[in-house]
Amino acid sequence: MKALEVDAVSKSFSIPSVRRDTVREHVLAAFRPRRFDRLQVLDSVSFSVSRGEAIGIMGRNGSGKSTLLKILSGVYLPDRGRVQVHGSITPVLELGVGWNPELDAVDNILLIGAVMGLSLAEIRRSLDGILAFAELERFAQLKLKHYSSGMSERLGYAIAFKAVREVLILDEIFAVGDAGFKQRCEQRYLELRAQGCTAVIVSHDPRIIATYCDRALLLDAGRVAFEGRARDVADYYVSALTHLEPVS
Amino acid sequence: MSGLVWTLVRTDFKTRYHGTAGGFLWALLKPMSMFVVLMGVFSFLFASKPTYKLDLIVGLFLWDFFAEGTKSGLISLQSKSYLLAKTRVPPWVLVITSIANATITLTVFLVVIAAFLAATGHPPTLEAFAVFAMYCVALLAMVVGFALGSSVLFLRYRDLNQVWDLILQAGFFLAPIIYPLGILPERFHFYLYVWPPTPVIEFSRTVLVAGSVPTLRGHLYLAIDAAVCLILGAIVFKRLSPRAAEFV
Repeated sequence: MKALEVDAVSKSFSIPSVRRDTVREHVLAAFRPRRFDRLQVLDSVSFSVSRGEAIGIMGRNGSGKSTLLKILSGVYLPDRGRVQVHGSITPVLELGVGWNPELDAVDNILLIGAVMGLSLAEIRRSLDGILAFAELERFAQLKLKHYSSGMSERLGYAIAFKAVREVLILDEIFAVGDAGFKQRCEQRYLELRAQGCTAVIVSHDPRIIATYCDRALLLDAGRVAFEGRARDVADYYVSALTHLEPVS
Repeated sequence: MSGLVWTLVRTDFKTRYHGTAGGFLWALLKPMSMFVVLMGVFSFLFASKPTYKLDLIVGLFLWDFFAEGTKSGLISLQSKSYLLAKTRVPPWVLVITSIANATITLTVFLVVIAAFLAATGHPPTLEAFAVFAMYCVALLAMVVGFALGSSVLFLRYRDLNQVWDLILQAGFFLAPIIYPLGILPERFHFYLYVWPPTPVIEFSRTVLVAGSVPTLRGHLYLAIDAAVCLILGAIVFKRLSPRAAEFV
């Protein structure tokens, strides 16, 4: 049984030579054409994840990891190809879940919890647990704009770990918090896996990929350069980087 | 979904009015004070029209809803970009809920208008009020249509809110709010009716203040006007919203 099927997904962004994002700029420069370059971020990426499996995604900066996660999460639309998700997805993208800086922690948990598909009753019930997990009980009434980056990241993981049902998507997991928090995250992650949760994890850290994933794939310039057992991919990634060679 | 809608409305309410009933009172006070000032000045100018202040209050409150609703609808996706970029939330929910606060204000105004009419010896009949409520629904449809279309365009043209502010400023005088439509030559009326708030305001005055019913042709025009706004907005939204997250 598949949890995620990614079939020949391609994504490119159009990069204009001059950025114009106001009406004024468009009107003033109406007769000055601009050049558009296409940046191919993902080029026919295919893979699938079985239910209960954890897959790691590695790759250098700019290899398309974050774009791939955004497509899996349904934030971006692929240009070509298809993503099929069987079950609900809980993403933590780029160390954040989408906080409103003007709201306090409790209101943000209500908002993000609702966006992640929890009912209001469920969120209210788990509110204390989420705050305790992030060790932020004392700051529950503080607006998120006054939070340190570490605090808001911790809260993000706390709520995602609570809300997740079937598929968990994590960008740079366990990169936040102190040793105690990391340990709680790892423990919770293992619990979720034991319950049959599917995970997609992006990381630069070969130890994390090797430890927490069953399988992994290495992205290079938007293509799957290598796919295999997590440990093999992690080793390959390290040796490719340390030898300063092109990965593919 | 209901939990999501509720938390989004609540978020807007909290960020807008700082979560207090006092903050909400300010929103009510703005058109009220406008009414007092305008009545103080213009009721002398239009002293020949005994129902001037009734016409004014109906026009002002409807205009306030139109202005507030379109303004918050236009910026709705931009102001919720933190959700758009990180979560799988249907964009139309963000747009529709952004109008909720203006709609709540309008509902309060409906009561104020009814009370004001009754106090000045023009208690509206139930039928008249029901017809008036229909006009409000037509106005709501126009605002929703505008919000849908403009919210996705605003992500691409970042000065659209300034353009709209200008149009609203001119539009306040284009719509017969502080002056009776009758002071302008008949041949201009048609053009004024093209501006969507005009028919809503004029018809509402006809049923509430004058106590008569506009023509069938007029109603047909209003219905088509509202439908066109709604459909046009929905078409633009349907085309542009799937890629909205790429522009935040």
